[in-house]
Amino acid sequence: MNKGIFIENVWRSNPIFMQVLGICSALAVTNLLTNTFTMTIGVTVTTGLSSLTVSIFKSLIPRRVRMIIQVLIISFYVIIVDLLLQTFFPDISKSLGPYVGLIITNCIIMGRAEACAISSPPGTALWDGLTAGFGYMAVLMCIAFFRELLGFGTLFGIRIIPAEIFLPWTIMVTPPSAFFLLGIIIWIVKPILKKQGVEV
Amino acid sequence: MKQGLTYTVIFTFIFCFLFVFILAFVNQSTRAYVLANQELAFKRTLLSSLDIEASTDQDVQERYAELERLPIGDTILYRASIDNSVIYAKQFSGAGLWGTISGILAVTEDLSQVVNMRVIAHNETPGLGGRIDEEWFQEQLSGERIVDLEIDVTKANPGDPGDSDKTNGEIDAITGATRTSDAIAVILYDELQLISSAIRGGL
Repeated sequence: MNKGIFIENVWRSNPIFMQVLGICSALAVTNLLTNTFTMTIGVTVTTGLSSLTVSIFKSLIPRRVRMIIQVLIISFYVIIVDLLLQTFFPDISKSLGPYVGLIITNCIIMGRAEACAISSPPGTALWDGLTAGFGYMAVLMCIAFFRELLGFGTLFGIRIIPAEIFLPWTIMVTPPSAFFLLGIIIWIVKPILKKQGVEV
Repeated sequence: MKQGLTYTVIFTFIFCFLFVFILAFVNQSTRAYVLANQELAFKRTLLSSLDIEASTDQDVQERYAELERLPIGDTILYRASIDNSVIYAKQFSGAGLWGTISGILAVTEDLSQVVNMRVIAHNETPGLGGRIDEEWFQEQLSGERIVDLEIDVTKANPGDPGDSDKTNGEIDAITGATRTSDAIAVILYDELQLISSAIRGGL
């Protein structure tokens, strides 16, 4: 377990606030913590396994079709996960709805395959994929925390602010709020990173 | 590594074939379970819409078998007698914002009240229109009075407590999901017309 890669992927070049990848899902799925959590777990597992697979086959994959092969590998894992959920955990599968399939379109997964897995040994690639997923999870959970709390007055579906005294912020339920929250996060984080000597 | 055109084509072909083969295999081997799960889920939802309790899978199958099935058109109207009152339930599917919304609508025999509405499948926007399958939304319809064969899905003003009156034939729409809410109103209207004409047509 390489600590450098962990810090790099979760903090110094976080996929969301530094690389600004996977933004569509950051806007779409973050109004409830439960959905966000399951989605980010799915992305983390898929990024890890697809990076591992790309790395194992890296010397065999022809350069000019490497992206097609990467998409194939990513879709492969997402569909397998979807089928296994439908078979053994029909309830979880139902509550996830279209989220699982949407993992295929997450740019972070292909980003890690291209940036790391295609030129690293399998162990490093797996760890790199997983930590990139953790970085994604950290930021999305942070956004979802504020959106669910202010939009519904709940956290993980449990009421935190009593309904009688709470006027829900409608904008927090809709995607634009994630856009503002993400902007605020980037605004807060970048000066801190700059102080730590990271080029921003 | 030599990577000519022939190698590229052959490699891509073999790689795709291999991965798709594994996928097809996994799909085939899980298919029966997935279908059985879906069928069981449907029966469970149907029973819950009729307020019939069934906990174990065995229970669900037995209670389901006891229901009366009346074919209307190409669908089936289910009839159950509970505590001397008759309830009709029908599976519905109608157009939502992104795709088909399907579910079950159960009403009293005189069409004066909705017993329950359950959403089985939909493709609405997660977190917005997708919330039609959540408990609080469906709960609104349980016991709601039907006025002129219609249920209105209405918007409350910000700060209003929302509609808790079960006798006015109105339920609350979902914030940020106007078109899904409208779609639900249309589906309910169409279904109530269908069930009404089927019952009046003498089953």
